[in-house]
Formats: sequence, structure tokens, C-alpha cells
Amino acid sequence: MNQRTWKRELNYSLFIAPALLFYVLFSVYPFLSMFYYSVTDYTVRKITNLSFVGLDNYKHLFGSDLLRTGLKNSILYAVLMTVFQTSLGLVLAVFLDRKLATRNLLRSVFFMPAVFSPLIVGFLWGYLMSTSDYGLINQGLEALGLGKINFLGDKDIALYSIVFTQLWQWTGWAMVIFLANLQSIPKDLYEAADIDGASGWKQFWRVTLPLMQPSVNVVAVTAMIGGLKVFDIILALTDGGPGNATQTIMTAYIKTSFNEGFYNRGAAFGVVFFGIVMAITLIMMRYLSKWGEKIR
Amino acid sequence: MTTRPYSAKRRLRRYPWILEAILILLAAVVFVPVYYLIVTTFKSPEEAALHPLSLPAGLDFGNYAAAWEAMVYPRVLANTAIVTIASVIGIVVFSAMAAYGLARRSHTLHRAIFYLFLAGLMVPFQMGLVSLYKLINALGLMDSLLAVIFVNIGSGCTIAIFLFHSFIQSSVPLELEESAFMDGCSVPKTFWLIAFPLLKPVIATVAIVSTLNVWNDFMNPLLFLQSREHNVILLEVFRNIGQFSVDWTSLFPMLMLGVAPLMAFYLFMQKYMIKGVAAGALKG
Amino acid sequence: MRKASITLFVVLMAISMALAGCSGNNGSNLPNGGEGSEKETAEKVKVRLAYWNKEDSVKTLLALIAKKLPDIEVEYQFIDNKQYDNIIATQLAAGSGPDIVSVSPSASTKYAKLGYLQDISALADRYNDAGKNVYSADGKLYAIPGISWFEGIFYNVDIFDQYGLKPPSTFAEELALHKALKDKGIKPQAMGAKSWEPMMKSSMGYVMNEFLAKPENKDFDVQFGQGAKKLADSWVPAVEQWSALIQDGYLNEEMLGIDYDQALDEFATGKAAMWESGPWAMEAIKKKNPNIKVNMFPFYGSQPGPGWLIGGPGVGFAANSKSAHPEAVMKVLDLISTPEGQQAFWNDNKGGSSYLKGVEFEMPAEYEGVKETFKAGNVYAPWNNWGDNAQSLIEEYGKRLQEVLGGSSSVGDALKGTDEKRAELSDLGS
Repeated sequence: MNQRTWKRELNYSLFIAPALLFYVLFSVYPFLSMFYYSVTDYTVRKITNLSFVGLDNYKHLFGSDLLRTGLKNSILYAVLMTVFQTSLGLVLAVFLDRKLATRNLLRSVFFMPAVFSPLIVGFLWGYLMSTSDYGLINQGLEALGLGKINFLGDKDIALYSIVFTQLWQWTGWAMVIFLANLQSIPKDLYEAADIDGASGWKQFWRVTLPLMQPSVNVVAVTAMIGGLKVFDIILALTDGGPGNATQTIMTAYIKTSFNEGFYNRGAAFGVVFFGIVMAITLIMMRYLSKWGEKIR
Repeated sequence: MTTRPYSAKRRLRRYPWILEAILILLAAVVFVPVYYLIVTTFKSPEEAALHPLSLPAGLDFGNYAAAWEAMVYPRVLANTAIVTIASVIGIVVFSAMAAYGLARRSHTLHRAIFYLFLAGLMVPFQMGLVSLYKLINALGLMDSLLAVIFVNIGSGCTIAIFLFHSFIQSSVPLELEESAFMDGCSVPKTFWLIAFPLLKPVIATVAIVSTLNVWNDFMNPLLFLQSREHNVILLEVFRNIGQFSVDWTSLFPMLMLGVAPLMAFYLFMQKYMIKGVAAGALKG
Repeated sequence: MRKASITLFVVLMAISMALAGCSGNNGSNLPNGGEGSEKETAEKVKVRLAYWNKEDSVKTLLALIAKKLPDIEVEYQFIDNKQYDNIIATQLAAGSGPDIVSVSPSASTKYAKLGYLQDISALADRYNDAGKNVYSADGKLYAIPGISWFEGIFYNVDIFDQYGLKPPSTFAEELALHKALKDKGIKPQAMGAKSWEPMMKSSMGYVMNEFLAKPENKDFDVQFGQGAKKLADSWVPAVEQWSALIQDGYLNEEMLGIDYDQALDEFATGKAAMWESGPWAMEAIKKKNPNIKVNMFPFYGSQPGPGWLIGGPGVGFAANSKSAHPEAVMKVLDLISTPEGQQAFWNDNKGGSSYLKGVEFEMPAEYEGVKETFKAGNVYAPWNNWGDNAQSLIEEYGKRLQEVLGGSSSVGDALKGTDEKRAELSDLGS
């Protein structure tokens, strides 16, 4: 290697360095320390002179109802979000790609909820969905002669209500990404399909959807990962309740680590969870890329 | 054979009134919570409790004035803007650089580093909070905006690198760069002058994603900013809620003041984003 | 539009290059950390006080400090109750944290054991035992007890008058009262059971009357905290009797979808006749409905008597042992521990009482109905004696009661679940 090639290689490495440094220092290192804490007796009462306790903390996870509920809810939530955010976003995008008079206004309205912080969404929907005499949705239902629905207080539907608020918030976001993708589809493909006599519906399946694969990929994967990690909106809307009915992995982690003080068991939670998210994401990415290959 | 395509075509071209009507109705429903938020900001507590959905009796900006003052809005807005702008610039620049370096080299080491970044997408990084806090403290960054900015860059660069990387690989042609090298351009020069300008569309996407995340992030400022002069908007909102708050009419204007800049930002970026991303940000 | 965006990005790029220190021929330099923390430049000493209530709840006190201690600037940091313990524990563990730490009794014991708090026994003589005991460990005082808090049952005087109803004097009468109101088509009691707190308190109100007040159970709470006694062996009859409120539908599943705020709305606007809460809600109630007439009655048991209120010493202010300004912190705590300081503190917490010796405040008219209860000294919060893990335990207990209200669990299981949580939490070590 001559000196110039060397300099080039060094330059490339220097390019990677800043992001890597920030990432390793502020994300990787704190996270890795969890692996260490998960095999120690680190709790709110024992902060220094930690000793090694082997897999004790992991053993504790198996009997834990909280973990089981959390896992079930996180996966259910993530799957629902992935499926509906993708499909509803796609439908909205296809419709709003057409030349409608109010198109731009509609796009803005559908996207608008995405700018709100979970905190605000929690306030708003907590109020709207309340069963009190001031719960606006239930007021409406009663005016229509229907019974009240206990959106956030019924343990069997609370999680679905949360999913609903999040679809309200994030479907518009998915729509924007799909819209972007739609505009990259050459119009002559549709004209060709027109000439072949394909109906609008068939065109969607045969022409649009396959070409939407990149954006579907991005939306589905981020919805899945984000869904598995969900916590702030849960804290804002139900705080994991009623009882522990809407705890997710992350809220269970927060409860175990910070409310109760078991940093070590919380860390074990985190390690197991990381493995699960990793596995699900990899499976999903593989499946999506296979789909991509098949339809190309 | 001859008539069917025409009818299909005509059906497609007919103006979709029904569709539009349905969409407008849906948009109205989607807008209700936002409407509720907005009208409440103009009401008195009594009015809000009795007629939550009605239009306000008058356009009284008194609630906003009070919120403005209570939050020390100019200061928190400046802090939030500093944190957001610096974090977003950091994320965009460092991620674009790293993604470029990673996309243009293919040693095992580079691939390993790329996967390390990818793994970060899946890590719930909030889980490392205890160590992160100790680290910030040890670095002497406690109670400074820099702490929040650094942590934002550290956690925000993963998705950005993912997006930049796939874009560079799919749509930034190598030929241009090679001829630049031939002319004796250094790597950084080639990147800044040739590759970076081509990244515009994906920069828009990354900037919007990061801005939303950073602006609405509440955990990091809460942990790392302690004195009031360093507060960001959400902290100030929270500080005015208290354990037992019910005064929606003074809370909602704060919430509105908190998201207004973000809405403006989106309206400004919206067109560009949809167009820009269309240029191929999603190839990959 | 397009042009504007491009301009924006050119500017952005220029700034970013400046920030990263990128020039044509080298990669990048990192902005160097470590320059961030600004030390105070003025001669004023800054003392940070963190608390989980709005600044409004101590505003008169802060004003007094600003006036009396001109060389000290108290910086008030509000941290929401849900996050407060996490954040403070993390900060203290890292050797930082606010100079003056607001603590609950259990947190003060916890932090004192870990050496986070300064011994402030010098101020101990000024307070009476009821206040300082809960903030002491091994005979040393670690926090000064604030204005006391209490909760009872508010009722709307106008509604009661309109239907000729009287506040009850036993739990049976209370049930009859609920029935009478319900028959008239009025929601008897508002409750924001979406939070785990109100049912926890309401049920304990009954337990205090029926079980804890008995002399033989004087030490029950301490023993429970240590694991020597179990709730499932002792509280079942009382909590089951209390749960008549659930069986008769006065507390119902619908309330699991109602927040504190919405419950307050219902009570303030006259949609519900009663509401379990405390003095801090008064200002908000009056704001929503300036004409409302409110009174309060305590929790009752099966026998007539003065009843009980749930409550105890309010927030404790503790001194961080790692504070850079210990003298300034002591000056502030000293000022709060004077009649003048207590008066200022009380001003925003009217209804509570002071633990400073020789200081007494007049009770506002809204609490006329619980005068006898106060006279009898019947104000108590069982968990203040449950030890370090009390906060997690009452949360568990409250969440289990939510399951009872939701119909998926029984009182016995709820109490057993709380016992199990207590055992689990003992793994934390002490």
C-alpha cells in the first residue's frame, strides 16, 4: 500500500469515528453495563461492592407474572401496530395520491397527530376516553343510545384502546412515507396496466404494492421495533393498569428497576428482552426481504 | 377487447367525490382531539368543564399570556431549539459521514461496525439509564444542554445511519467520486462536495424523524437538566402540572405553545419531504 | 418552496461543518465534553430544592426565604410524582442530586441508611414527636417534617341539604347514604380509580377503624413491614366488609376508567355528591365551581366514634450529605423550622397542621366535619410504618384492589398478593 491509499483508508475510518464514539459512549456502554448488572446483586440498597450471583436474577424471571404479562402485551401491541399502521397508512396514501381538491389539507390533518408528544396524547385521550360524565366519546355513545365503553379501565380492552390512540397518532406518519414511495413509481407502468385492462384493485396488487416494498419494509420494521419497546404512552394513558393489565416489557422493567429498586432483575429483564427483539426483528427482516425478492 | 379498457380508464378518471367525502369525514374525526385541545385553550375553567366541545365564547388569549409567562416561554423555547438544532445537526452530519465511510468500505470490520449500529435500533436504550447517568456525571456534563445533545446524538444516529447507508448504496453513484479521486481530491473533500449534496432527500427524512424525537423527548432532559434556566419546553409543562392538577385551561395553552413550533416546522418541510423522499430515500 | 428548502440545507450544512470542525482535508474533531457545567458566577449561593408538588404549593415559603436569606437563591425543581423516586434515587446514587431533597418517611429512612442524607438533629428539639419520629432513624433526625396532609370524604353540602341527608357516623350509615343518593339518581361517590391510590386509601380508612385502632394491633404495621405479620391473616374481614361499597355498586368498574382529575370535575360540578380526597384539591374545586359548599367527614367503622382520617406528616425536607453548600442548606431548613416559616408553608397548604412545637393554625370552615377526628388525634397512614418498601407495597395493594373492582380477583387474593410482594421486596436487602 502506498502512502496515498493509506491516507484514504485512514480518512474513511475518521469518518466513522465521531458517530461511533457517541454511539458507543452514550448507548452501547450503558446498555452493556446491564449485562454485568444482571449477574450481580445490584439493588437500590446495595450500590457498591457488588458481588456475583450467577444466574439468580434470570431464574427469577421465569416465575414472574409481570414479565409474562409484559411480554404478551408488548408482542400483541407491536403486531397490531405493525399490521394496522402499515395497512391503514397504505390505504390512506393510495387515496391521497389521487388528485383530490383537498389533498394537501387532508394530508396535513392526517399527519398532524405525529407532532404531539406522548405526554400530550396521554392527556387528550385519557380525557376523551374517560368513563366519567365528561368523557367525550362516551357522552357521544350515550347520546346515540349505546352503552358506555370503559376504554381504559376494562382490563380486556385497555390495550386495544391504547393501540387505537397510537394508530390515530402514527398512521399519518406511515402515510407520508408511503406517499413518498408512491411518487417514485413511474406513471407509465399504470398506463401499461390500463391498456392491459387491469381494474384499479388489480393494479394496486400487481403494480403498486410490489413497488412499495421498500417503504413497507421501513414502516413495518420500525413499527415492530417501536411497538416492542413501547412505554411512554402506556405510562401516560394507563400507568400499566388496571391492575397490571397493560404492563409492557418496558413498563415492567421500569417498575422492577426504579419503582421497586431491583436494578439487577431489571437488567436481566433487559437482556432477555433484547434477545427477543433481536430475534423477532431478524425473522421479520428476512421474511420481508424474501417477499421483496419474490415480487421483483 | 376494445371497449373494456376504455370503461376502466374512464371509471378511474372520474372525479372521486364519494372517496373525498369519506376522507374529509375521517379527517374531521381525526381532528377532533386537536380541535378540543385548541378550543379549550380559550376557555375559562368553568366553561371548559360545562361545554367541552363547544366553540369558545370569545377569543381570549389570556390563557396563552399566562402560559407564556409561567413557562418563561422565550427561554424554554431557546433551550429546546438549541438542543433540537444541535442534536439534529449532529445526528445528520455524523451519521451521513459514518454511513458514507461504511458504505464505501467493505472490510469485515466495517461490516461489523454497521451491524453494531443496526443492533442499536433494537436496543431499548432507556434500559441503560443508571450507567448513563453515572457517565454524564463523571464527564462533568450534569445540568448542561450538552449532556442532552450528546445522548440524543448517541441514540439517534442508529436509525439515521441505517437510512443514509441504504440510500448511499442504492443511489449515490461511485463513478463521480472515482473521477474526483483521479483528480486528486481527498476523501473528505469528495464527500462534502460530491456525495453530501446528493443526500438531500434523505437528510430531510432524517431531520424530520430526529426533530420529532428530540423535541418530544422528555426523559433525557428530565434526568440531565436540573436548573430551571436550562429547562426545555416539556419540563416546564410538567413542572406546571404538579401531582394533582386539573386546570386544563392553563395546561392546554402550554401544550399548544409546546407543539406550535413543531407544527410550523412540519408544514414547512412537508412538501419537501414527500417530494424528497420520492427521489429514492426508500430504496434498499 | 424548493428553493427555500435548499437554502435551508446549505445553511444547515455550513453550520454543521463549523460545529464538527470539518475542513477540506481532515475528518472531524469532536466537540469536547466537560465544558458544560457552568458554575455560579454571582455571589449568591444557589441551593436546589426538588419536590413532587407544584411550585405553587410552596410559593409563599419560597418568597419568605428569598426575603429573609438574600444571599441564598433557592432553585425550585419540580419532578412529577411518578418519576420522582427514580430520578432522585439515580441522582443520589451518582453522588449528585438536589441540595434539599424532598422525602417521604420511607424514602428518608432508605436514603439515610445509604448515607445520602445529612444528620440534622440540631433542629430536632423544635418539632414534636409525632412529626419527627417518622423522619428519624437510629435516634437521628434526617428530615424536617412539613405541614401535615390528610384525606377524608368531601361532600357537597347543597346536595345533602336538598335531600335532607346528613353525614354518617358509622360505615353502615355511610352505605345507607350511598343508597339514598343513588335512589335519587345522583352518583353517590366520585372516584378516580384509574389511579391505584383512592381505593387503597378508602379501604385503609375502614381498616384503621376496625383493626388497626385496637390496642392489640398497635404494632401491626411495623411487624408487617418486617415480615412478622401478614395482611392475609389479619385484614381480610375488614377489607371484605369495606368491599360492600363494591358489591353494592357504589364503587364500580366504570371508575377504573376515570382519572383523579375527572373525578374532581364530577364532584366539583355537582354530578357526584361525595369524593375521597384532601385539602390540596380545594383550590381546584373552587376554581371549577366558585359557589360550591363543601364539608368533610372521616372514614368510619362499624361502631360510632370520631372516625379516622388517613394522613400524616407531609413532605420531609432533607439535606443532601453531598451538597456543596451545607451551611446554606442548614440556613434554609432553619428558617422553615420557625413559626414564620411554618406559617408561610401552611399558607399554601391550608387545612394541614404544623409539627413545630407551639404552632397551631385555624382550620378552614371546609373541614368543620372532621374537627372531632382531629381532636381525637385520629390521623394515620399505616404505610408510614411499613418500612423502606412502603411505596411499592401500597402500589401493589392498590393495583390488586383494582383487580378486585374489575371482578378478576378477590379480597383474599389481593391481600395475599401484597404479602407476596412484601416477601419479594425483602430480597432487596436492607
